[in-house]
Amino acid sequence: MDSTLQPSASTAPPHSRFWLRVRRNPVGLGAFIVLCLLTVLVVFGPSLYRVAPDSTDPLNILAAPSPAHPFGTDELGRDMLSRLLYGGRVSLAVGLLSMLVGLTIGTLAGGIAGYFQGWAETVVMRLVDVFMSIPSFFLVLVIVTVFGNHPLTVVVTVGIGFWAQMARVVFAEFTKYRGREFVEAMHALGASHARIMFRHIFPQVLPQAIVLATLGVGWAILTEAALSYLGLGIQPPLASWGNMLQNAQAYLYSNPMLAIWPGLFIAVTVLAFNILGNALRDVLDPRG
Amino acid sequence: MTAYILRRLLQGGVVLLLISAVTFLLINLAPGGPTSAVSLGRTAEEREAVLKQYGLDRPILVRYLDWLGGVSRGDLGKSYNQGLPVASLLAQRMGNTLLLALSALALTAVLGVGLGVLSALYKNRWPDHLISSLATVGMSVPAFWLGIVAIIVFAVQFKWLPSSGIFTVGQEFSLADRLRHLAMPAGVLAFTLMPNVIRITRSALLEVLTSDYVRTARAKGVSEQVVLLKHTLKNAMVPVIAILGLITTVLFSGSVVVESVFGWAGLGRLAIEAANGRDYPVILGVTLLVGAIVVVVNLLVDVLYAAVDPRINHG
Repeated sequence: MDSTLQPSASTAPPHSRFWLRVRRNPVGLGAFIVLCLLTVLVVFGPSLYRVAPDSTDPLNILAAPSPAHPFGTDELGRDMLSRLLYGGRVSLAVGLLSMLVGLTIGTLAGGIAGYFQGWAETVVMRLVDVFMSIPSFFLVLVIVTVFGNHPLTVVVTVGIGFWAQMARVVFAEFTKYRGREFVEAMHALGASHARIMFRHIFPQVLPQAIVLATLGVGWAILTEAALSYLGLGIQPPLASWGNMLQNAQAYLYSNPMLAIWPGLFIAVTVLAFNILGNALRDVLDPRG
Repeated sequence: MTAYILRRLLQGGVVLLLISAVTFLLINLAPGGPTSAVSLGRTAEEREAVLKQYGLDRPILVRYLDWLGGVSRGDLGKSYNQGLPVASLLAQRMGNTLLLALSALALTAVLGVGLGVLSALYKNRWPDHLISSLATVGMSVPAFWLGIVAIIVFAVQFKWLPSSGIFTVGQEFSLADRLRHLAMPAGVLAFTLMPNVIRITRSALLEVLTSDYVRTARAKGVSEQVVLLKHTLKNAMVPVIAILGLITTVLFSGSVVVESVFGWAGLGRLAIEAANGRDYPVILGVTLLVGAIVVVVNLLVDVLYAAVDPRINHG
């Protein structure tokens, strides 16, 4: 809307146009910085703060914050700060990897359906209807119940909860582009279907896919947290922000902070991913 | 119109059939499926007897068709853990979930539409920014954690509301008691549903407010209030109704977690109990029921949509 007021944005070379839009979006930039800081914290934090996350201290259970335990200890006397750092690793990793799984399945299925149409469309899009009709959390619940809760299973499962949404968007985009002149030109030049799909159409879809994927990470972190909170996701003693809340509810009267910290980390992280996703939509895809 | 409804009915039926097939196959083909669940700690002969008792020794397609035949007669099988028919377990819990879901939906409708309208009327001014920030936060905060925080504040600190349950045990039915128990779970659930409604209401209303017929109405000297209440709001509600299907899926996903936090004995809790106890017939039944509700809601929305908006082509 305000691009008409600032003609410099449209005449500048593409990369500086990108940076211009980024600079005009300080909140999005802030969210990105928060995510970078969180990543640094959970990746390098444990090597600086050398307290084992699963060593119990029976004499110091449910301890208040002290120099030895800056965030206090939980009901088994485990150090909260250490568990928050290690739990963050797990939560962030599960979130990112799940999104990759959903992105890959969704893009492949949606791309094939949109590019070839016909029966591929029928099969994929009916399946999308099915997956969109089962509330995602029930789906995740069913899969985790039968395939178990190994961390990798949780990753794949949460990713599967997300693929249909991705497929629907990618399908719409591929349908839009498949008839365009540049695609016909590539056909005439003898390019293979795979080449046209990945080298020529996919880059057009990429901005939308990136936006959806960024929002998807937030969703995946929330889903993993909820699963783990219910005891069906990441299993203790391995910490995740979600499963740290599992037992905290029993101590709400005496130690409410046990429940506050992990949730606060989840909320801030997901909020940052959501803000970043919305900002990327403005930056990468100003039409949408 | 009749042809359109019939076609949508048929499509809905196909989706429902596919849902049943996907969940049934997923559960039965998995390595941790029912056949392995009943074999824990049993000898080979015992195992065979149990498999036979539950009909698990037959080929999967036969079992699926048999189960499907049962479903069509309202028989969803028997719970492994409780020995009761799944259908009666679902019926027991359904009312509680509906009470919670409909309360949350009503709260969402009032607050979500209200805030969305405010947001549109104050476009790009501080109320709009505040409300859209609130919506982003609502999308980001884990529902179960919000529930826990609500318990800490309202039950632990101020002791205004009970921390769990549907009614006070051993007390006679009273509306006030019910509402006190309902307040936190319905509020938390509504908070997670609201962002979608706020966003759609805002964008739909903004679109209608800039349309030609509204400009004409204003030019005629119709007051702002009448323009808003009589001319625009009704049209702006069409897209909001259109996402009711999406909202229903979010509602059920949210209810699983919220029911667990607040000890609310509904379908969501039943699903969690069944998942923890590997009670496959129950999981299958809950998923099918919830999927069916979503399909029916989508169907109703489409029919309503077509009836309300004559421009929609149902050919």
